[in-house]
Amino acid sequence: MSKITHVKVGNFTSFLNLDLAFSSGINIVIGENGTGKTHLLKMLYAACAITTGEDKEKGFALKLRNVFNPFEGRMGRLSRRQSQSIKTKVTVTKQGGAKLTAEFSNHTNKPDAVKVTGETGWQKEPLTSAYIPVKEMLAHAPGFLATAAKREIAFEEVYVDIIKHAFLPKLMGKTDAPRQRLLTALQKAIDGKVVAKGEHFFLKNEQGDLEFTLLAEGIRKLALIWLLIQNGTLLAGSVLFWDEPEANLNPALMGEVVDLILELQRLGVQVFLTTHNYVLLKEFDLRKQAGDAIRYLSMFRDESGAVSSATSDSYLGIDPNAVSKTFSSLYDRELTRSLGVIKA
Amino acid sequence: MSTLLEGDLQMTLPPAASGRKFDGNAHGLSHCMKAVDFIVELTDKVLFVELKDPENPAALAARSEAFITEFRAGQLDNDLKTKFRDSWLYEYAQGRINKPITYLVLMGASTLSDAELLARTDALKRQIPIEGPNNQPWKMPLLTGCAVLNIAAWNKALPDFPISRVSV
Repeated sequence: MSKITHVKVGNFTSFLNLDLAFSSGINIVIGENGTGKTHLLKMLYAACAITTGEDKEKGFALKLRNVFNPFEGRMGRLSRRQSQSIKTKVTVTKQGGAKLTAEFSNHTNKPDAVKVTGETGWQKEPLTSAYIPVKEMLAHAPGFLATAAKREIAFEEVYVDIIKHAFLPKLMGKTDAPRQRLLTALQKAIDGKVVAKGEHFFLKNEQGDLEFTLLAEGIRKLALIWLLIQNGTLLAGSVLFWDEPEANLNPALMGEVVDLILELQRLGVQVFLTTHNYVLLKEFDLRKQAGDAIRYLSMFRDESGAVSSATSDSYLGIDPNAVSKTFSSLYDRELTRSLGVIKA
Repeated sequence: MSTLLEGDLQMTLPPAASGRKFDGNAHGLSHCMKAVDFIVELTDKVLFVELKDPENPAALAARSEAFITEFRAGQLDNDLKTKFRDSWLYEYAQGRINKPITYLVLMGASTLSDAELLARTDALKRQIPIEGPNNQPWKMPLLTGCAVLNIAAWNKALPDFPISRVSV
């Protein structure tokens, strides 16, 4: 069971130089819009995805292109935008030291022209993974896969992949106790189980079957996690990428989601998530227990406009913290409004 | 320049302000009315100041625990409301409500973030009606504003009235 330990990036999308060491538990990426949080997750997901299933054939370069879906499919559009020629390099490292590298330039068009090294060694051991995009997809599953396969719609491949993962059949054999505990907790939160009929997903409970299009988006997301645990996508040794878990969730449900993520980590799932949400961050801070491994990765633009990063293993150590900065600004303005100027 | 002291917290007043400790022996009605800790009179307004200090190093562990329990149960907001109302009534009956009142609650809890202070300020504002019925101003204002601050936020917002710890 391997974990992603490190990424080194030069001139990829908005990143000038990025050199990050990851936690084997939970990695929480924060930063303002446009600081590359989702790009980081997609890049790492592409590296994981090519170790399993049909994506093994695709290889790193093509998978990278497909999850980012640049204009006209041109790889060079993933290079950091500069007026002159520029070389891009991405290296992902996992436990044991295996490295996967992709090198190309802003002039590179086809994925075939990308220089990929270390792919054979990298693919020896599967890193099962799932990427949950911000937009909930299960309700749109009917017809989506067929349409995407015909290339009639230009969706980033993460959307196709998550639907495929959701359709995987239930894992054979007895469900072990920790997994069953998670499934039971989720069933309580969503008030039922998920069943698929053809390409349609339903929430099944005592009242009958409720189609996903009639469910609140927040509930659909939890239902998706239920499916991924049930079908064995999220097992010890797998990697979960979750872009903004807070999207469409009432803050009151956030604690349950955070408990769920912490529990997955305790089972041995490595987690990468992005967030803009104070409640989510604070729930992690309040609910984590001794032994839980959480690393905060703060992405920000430096004076030159390039994206830089800072890491911290404690909530209060996050600097800069784009989320708390917003609250500080709100609080300052609230004090000004409530108190006015109090002078001697 | 004078100072007002409550437990481990000390508030320094500029010469133009006069302040008194309100919640003490001089109050005389503590059996039936609650009281804010300090009342500070400025030329254009009066400050009601209430101090809550769970980080007082001299406080007994049991007292700190009681504070946390009170805080979690939402009783603190109720306590802050009652202190404001009773202090206001007391001053009114003494004929001293003749300037706008600002109510300031200082939490001696350094770990409270701005987000939490903002939430506490909103909660306090829900307890104390700054506006009258139908969102219209009162004919005679109860108060002009209120806020919950920690020491850092206080010293930033009220630099003329710094608060510090005696023990540091």
